[in-house]
Amino acid sequence: MVRFENVGMRYGLGPEVLRDISFSLERGAFHLLTGPSGAGKTSLLKLIYLAERPSRGLISMFGRDTGAMAREELPPLRRRIGVVFQDFRLLDHLTVLENVALPRRVMGQTEAQYRADVEELLSWVGLGNRLNAKPPTLSGGEKQRVAIARAVVAKPELLLADEPTGNVDPDIGGRIMRLFIELNRLGTSMLIATHDQRIIERLPATRILKLSEGRLATTSDLMQSEAMHA
Amino acid sequence: MSAINTTSGLMPPDSASGATLHTIVAVMSFLACLTLGAVLTLSRLASEWTEGLSGSVTVQLLPSPQIGGEDQLSDALRITRAWPGIFAARALSREEAMGLLEPWLGEGNVLADLPVPQLIEVTLTPGRQVDLRGLSKSLTGNVPGAHLDDHQRWNRELASFAASSEGVGWAVLLLITLATLAIVIFATQAGLQAHREIVEVVHMIGARDVFIAGEFQRHFMWLGLRGGFMGLGLAILTLVAISLMWNSRDAPVGAQYLPQFISAPQHYIWLLLVPAITGLIAMFTARMTVLRVLGRMP
Repeated sequence: MVRFENVGMRYGLGPEVLRDISFSLERGAFHLLTGPSGAGKTSLLKLIYLAERPSRGLISMFGRDTGAMAREELPPLRRRIGVVFQDFRLLDHLTVLENVALPRRVMGQTEAQYRADVEELLSWVGLGNRLNAKPPTLSGGEKQRVAIARAVVAKPELLLADEPTGNVDPDIGGRIMRLFIELNRLGTSMLIATHDQRIIERLPATRILKLSEGRLATTSDLMQSEAMHA
Repeated sequence: MSAINTTSGLMPPDSASGATLHTIVAVMSFLACLTLGAVLTLSRLASEWTEGLSGSVTVQLLPSPQIGGEDQLSDALRITRAWPGIFAARALSREEAMGLLEPWLGEGNVLADLPVPQLIEVTLTPGRQVDLRGLSKSLTGNVPGAHLDDHQRWNRELASFAASSEGVGWAVLLLITLATLAIVIFATQAGLQAHREIVEVVHMIGARDVFIAGEFQRHFMWLGLRGGFMGLGLAILTLVAISLMWNSRDAPVGAQYLPQFISAPQHYIWLLLVPAITGLIAMFTARMTVLRVLGRMP
């Protein structure tokens, strides 16, 4: 689904924040990306959701070499990926419903085509009664669930989440993780970036990618319990 | 479940940059409308003056020892009225002739002492070519002291003055348009910076550049149109107020001779173009700016 080969990345003329990264994400699998703050997790996610270009190496997404793709070909690729940003990145002037509907709108769908799906999804994440609320009036947990709903509303093949429990209390964090597990069961491939050890221990990750100082320190195909003792 | 609109624009309707752009476009539109009003007025005056002068000629009869005054007048009227293309010829009374001189010489005894020539006002048939050179020769040859003034010298000077004034007006209008363009580009870039979050999020969820540009251009087109109509409204109020002031009884002496701003209905249609153009300028500059910025994103 996603394959990195000797990928390096730097911002502008600065030092490389990612070095010699090679790994692959398997379809339908639950992946965890771990490592301490500043290890490069967010930069790695940015490369996957095509917000940045690598300074070297090869990135293949859904069977296509992204480096060889024209800029105009990237939007359809982005639509196959859902992203839950660390800081949610909701648009404050839009309602919850409008925020969640955004990916369907940019696909050119009309309200009649997406409205029922959006309402159903918001009910599923427990926000069926907050459709008309604006993000500034929502709690951290509610914002996080809106961000998740927006990321999955277009039924992406791969869902990326950057520190999804970083801004919410442990109870909400647990609920969010159960939501991810459910999405994975429904067929969405997952890559969750987190340095929260409790989350790592509770998730049924099939693969764990561990970043350290811009390098991929270890990749593990072990189940979570075995990985913990590795 | 209550109906909720899910098709609001992506841009916040009342952002700070929008308010600034709104005000600036209103001011620029106001200036553009006033300038356009002045240019249209000058254009109308120029054509009125030149049409008025080219539609008539004057025959001057200077006293001559070879012919008596009455014979001189009747011969000149006879030749003129018989000439092809002449619609009417009328001798001006001495009072009328002196009335023409009053604005320059004032009232009083001075005029009574002056040897004011006999004048014949000649109106040409509209749309017909008249051989004025032939008429002039015929008058000079047959009526001693007669001289035909076809107003060509005045006509040329007025046409030249009107053309240069119009040119200055159009140049000012062009400068205002360029300034508006620059301001809209600046405000669009500021707006883009202020709403960079929106652009990035929508870009990252897979929106094509034309979709984002479409949202921006629609937002800025409405800002441009609204600002343009505000400026137009203020300009029309100003022009109407000036016209009313010049025509009022309290107006200073001579104000009634000043030109009427925007007297023709079609001029208002021209003015309506100003907000339409500000809207289009805002729309296209927003589109170009957004596409340029997006082009720098991966």
